[in-house]
Amino acid sequence: MIDRIASGFNPFVIPFLAGMAFVLGYCLISMIRIVLQLSHADRKKFLISLVTPGVIWRNCRDIFCDCLLHVKLWKRNRLLGYMHSSIALGWFILIVLGHIEVLLFVPGRINLFYYPIFFNFFVAENESTVQGKVLFFLMDFFLLVVLSGIFLAMLKRLRSRLFGMRRTTRHSLTNQVGLYALWAIFPLRLLAESFTAHISGGSFLTVPANWVFRQFLGNDLNMLPTWWAYSIALCVFMVVLPFSRYMHIPAEMMLIPMRNAGIRITSARRGLARLEVLSCPNCGICIDACPMSADRANLKDCTVYLTRQIRRGNEKRIDEISDKCLLCGKCQELCQVGVEGPKLRVAQRASRKYPISPDFSDIDVKGSGISAEKHEVAYYSGCMTRLTPSISRSVESLLRKAGVDYTWIDRDGGLCCGRPMLIAGRTEEAREMAARNMELIISSGAGTLLVSCPICYRMFTEEYTLPGIRVVHYAEFFDELIRQKRLTVEKSDVCYVYHDPCELGRGCGMYDGPRRLLSHAAFLAEADRTRGESVCCGGSLGSISLDFEHRKSITMSSLENLYSSRADAIATACPLCRSTLARYSDRPVRDIAEVIDNQTKES
Amino acid sequence: MKENVVIIGGGIAGMEAAGQLLSLGYNPIIVEQQDHLGGHVAQWHRLFPDMIPAQELVQKLGESIAEANVFLETRVNFVNRLSDGWNVMLSNGINIVCRAILVASGFTLFDASRKEEYGYGVYDHVITNADLEAWLNGSADRRVPFRPESMGFVHCVGSRDMKAGNTQCSKVCCTTAIKQAIEMKERFPDSNVYCFYMDLRLFGKKYEDFYINAQKQWGVQFIRGRVSEVSETMEGRLQVKAEDTLSGRPVKVQLDLLVLMSGMVCNEHSSRMAGMMGLDIDSDGFIRSRDNEYHIVESNRPGVFYAGTCTGTKTVPETVCEARSAALAIHNYLKGR
Amino acid sequence: MDFGFGINRSSTIDLTKTDNGLFRRVCSEEPGARTCMACGSCSATCMASDLSGMSIRKVLLAMQRGQDIRHMLSKCMLCGKCTMVCPRGINTRRLVLTICRLYD
Repeated sequence: MIDRIASGFNPFVIPFLAGMAFVLGYCLISMIRIVLQLSHADRKKFLISLVTPGVIWRNCRDIFCDCLLHVKLWKRNRLLGYMHSSIALGWFILIVLGHIEVLLFVPGRINLFYYPIFFNFFVAENESTVQGKVLFFLMDFFLLVVLSGIFLAMLKRLRSRLFGMRRTTRHSLTNQVGLYALWAIFPLRLLAESFTAHISGGSFLTVPANWVFRQFLGNDLNMLPTWWAYSIALCVFMVVLPFSRYMHIPAEMMLIPMRNAGIRITSARRGLARLEVLSCPNCGICIDACPMSADRANLKDCTVYLTRQIRRGNEKRIDEISDKCLLCGKCQELCQVGVEGPKLRVAQRASRKYPISPDFSDIDVKGSGISAEKHEVAYYSGCMTRLTPSISRSVESLLRKAGVDYTWIDRDGGLCCGRPMLIAGRTEEAREMAARNMELIISSGAGTLLVSCPICYRMFTEEYTLPGIRVVHYAEFFDELIRQKRLTVEKSDVCYVYHDPCELGRGCGMYDGPRRLLSHAAFLAEADRTRGESVCCGGSLGSISLDFEHRKSITMSSLENLYSSRADAIATACPLCRSTLARYSDRPVRDIAEVIDNQTKES
Repeated sequence: MKENVVIIGGGIAGMEAAGQLLSLGYNPIIVEQQDHLGGHVAQWHRLFPDMIPAQELVQKLGESIAEANVFLETRVNFVNRLSDGWNVMLSNGINIVCRAILVASGFTLFDASRKEEYGYGVYDHVITNADLEAWLNGSADRRVPFRPESMGFVHCVGSRDMKAGNTQCSKVCCTTAIKQAIEMKERFPDSNVYCFYMDLRLFGKKYEDFYINAQKQWGVQFIRGRVSEVSETMEGRLQVKAEDTLSGRPVKVQLDLLVLMSGMVCNEHSSRMAGMMGLDIDSDGFIRSRDNEYHIVESNRPGVFYAGTCTGTKTVPETVCEARSAALAIHNYLKGR
Repeated sequence: MDFGFGINRSSTIDLTKTDNGLFRRVCSEEPGARTCMACGSCSATCMASDLSGMSIRKVLLAMQRGQDIRHMLSKCMLCGKCTMVCPRGINTRRLVLTICRLYD
């Protein structure tokens, strides 16, 4: 291969160069701004992580797997996975191959930025070309791969169900411009390379295409305009990129190192939050995931629209979306990029100012329910359990049957654990409540804190420091008692489906414990969507603005999912889920503690 | 040959209407799911405000329909419209062709266990108004203590409650609670009896006298506040929490017996029947009358009439009056007036 | 001269002179607040009520009578029990946050 154009330049590369300069400059500045927005400690942590060998390796691996291979998408739906990795990985390989070609045939031009991209325009075949046949073949092959991905992307807009998605995002104008530019890039590249294939050579795709075109096009006049079009399409894509969802491509490459550095969201808009917002690819997986989408009125309140409104700065909608969310965490569980929708919302709630602040300083908790004598186990039922006495009664009954030395520390009332306050965005007040509660729990002198409410459990494990006290959910505790033969449980022939409470499952990662405990006493069936993908019951305290009557459709869809298991009854491990599901369920809803207690003999 | 009129439901509404239709020269056919006539009233002990035994009323109504056709333990399987009437298929295989149907399917008592915070079915000494009537009628109930020191009545259980899916007032519970409180006081004169109410709705004839009597003669204590939760003390007594809204402070009291005044909710079979006959359902879940002012016993379908609590909550006298008026409406309809 | 009593401010709430502006502003954002029938379920179930006299029912009433509610409201723990028991389905958690936000 030899240079065809002595100067190595043609004006058609200018749009490409301009677009490239713009996008690189823009990204660099926004990334620097994000790093500067981090708190001092976080910034230090981040910069150190960038030179830590172990983290470097993790970053490289994660970027390759997530940004190029899209491993998580493959796990979700193969067609969706193929579509994304064919475009991302295929394009990446095309760029790499372009550079190899330049290095191999015209090494002197490697310093020209555009040369690998427009290689076929600038070179002509000569006798040395044979060595390049494999490269040409690979170029055509990966171009075909990318084209197949583009074809699937078009198909997805028409038939999203093939890709396992019921609903897709409604795209904004910039997103659409970006989308059409991206779709145009590769067919134009095929066309451009085909027109020049009789000069610069090609392979199975471009050479036959060239032959076909030459049958009815007698001259090379189409060549230059097509290369112009190709360059302009690239330019449009790159200029639109920072303002469209395609910003997720550079943003995700920075999000991965930042997450690997262990940085958390502290502000609603700045630093990591900003980066997560930019990393949202608007794929719309969270639309189907969101339990609120059972009601069409809530379709625009899932995380993809939150990130969009944050980028637009539409404060009214940001507040609405932030307040409505149930914080069930399913969008985050399914998000391919790891956008923390719930945390973004809580940070937004926390940014509000209230003239009245809670003040618990004069609340006297001492002497309420704490008996003078010490017990091994302190049972904390929490607020919600007081409205479902069947749970606390079963827990007490089981503790008695197993002969556990216990005390029920909030039998006569107590303080709320603080989580409802925390997720309403009033962080400081929640901390104050937590501090007073910690005092109370420590003063009980018990070595084990037994909890039956997942909301409290998550708060205790995430936000409390209780030195020397083991915080345990009854699902684990009673399972241990059964293993130690302190409880004798007889298996009934009732078949239960277990509903994963959001706070216990996605919140604390406890999926197997409750199932193991339940299987001592009953048969287990699984719903269609289960564990990390289970559907919130709709009763969650996470939502501030959803009214009682607007939660029914969510509860109904959660129940529909549970009915799919064809179980006789529903079991759960959360007082709030229990009463919410029982309100509309056509079959019994029980807490696991009740099921176990019914099947446990008096010793 | 006398003309058939099918009456769905053998409660007091169905019985009264059947008696009237008999004397008007028709052949009423009562279809009753249960094994007895008289519906909920047959299970009740005494009726307010004159405290007559409920059995007396049921017996009297029973005598008046001695000549009527009654199918007990029978359900309506299917109803279809004919050109000038209805064809009713029963679960016992009998087919009836008639020009008029009277729907008197009544109500269902609210399932008190759905109000989980009251602990019905969880605690040992929580019963419903229906349980108490059965006990007053002499059936044994271990949940009623031998000598209760204090007891409470919770008004509006499942009534006026959006969370229970019923926003309507059940009308009779306030008076029933007072009646039961008096009956319990008669048996346990030394006990403390508390009524926890949101509003006392004592609209009927002599109901207010009943209330005054309960206060003056029997010393029933009325607390204006809805019970929010029930727990159990270490000693196993019930502890009830409410707000005494008049003093503006939370109250708690330890009780030996708690009676939940379960309200009336629409009969679960009514909607099935309404579907078969094309009847409208009102927003409160009960069957919708043609209007709620004048055409209460009439439906949106020709030849279909209503009586009693299938269209909403009602007292005994209201139900009986409605049954008579429905009988007359049917008579006029069949005579072509 | 001491008559044994002083001239104190009348304890009558004069509704014609009462400033219930806060209540009206709250209701425009949270119309459910108007549906309260003062059953007291919320106060009875309230975790803070026992310890501090907090009562969302009283807060609603006090706002309508033009009285200060700051102290009571500052005791709310937002635990959500009142929302669970309210027979009128009032979203009391949002109500509390709305009052806290609009208070001046």
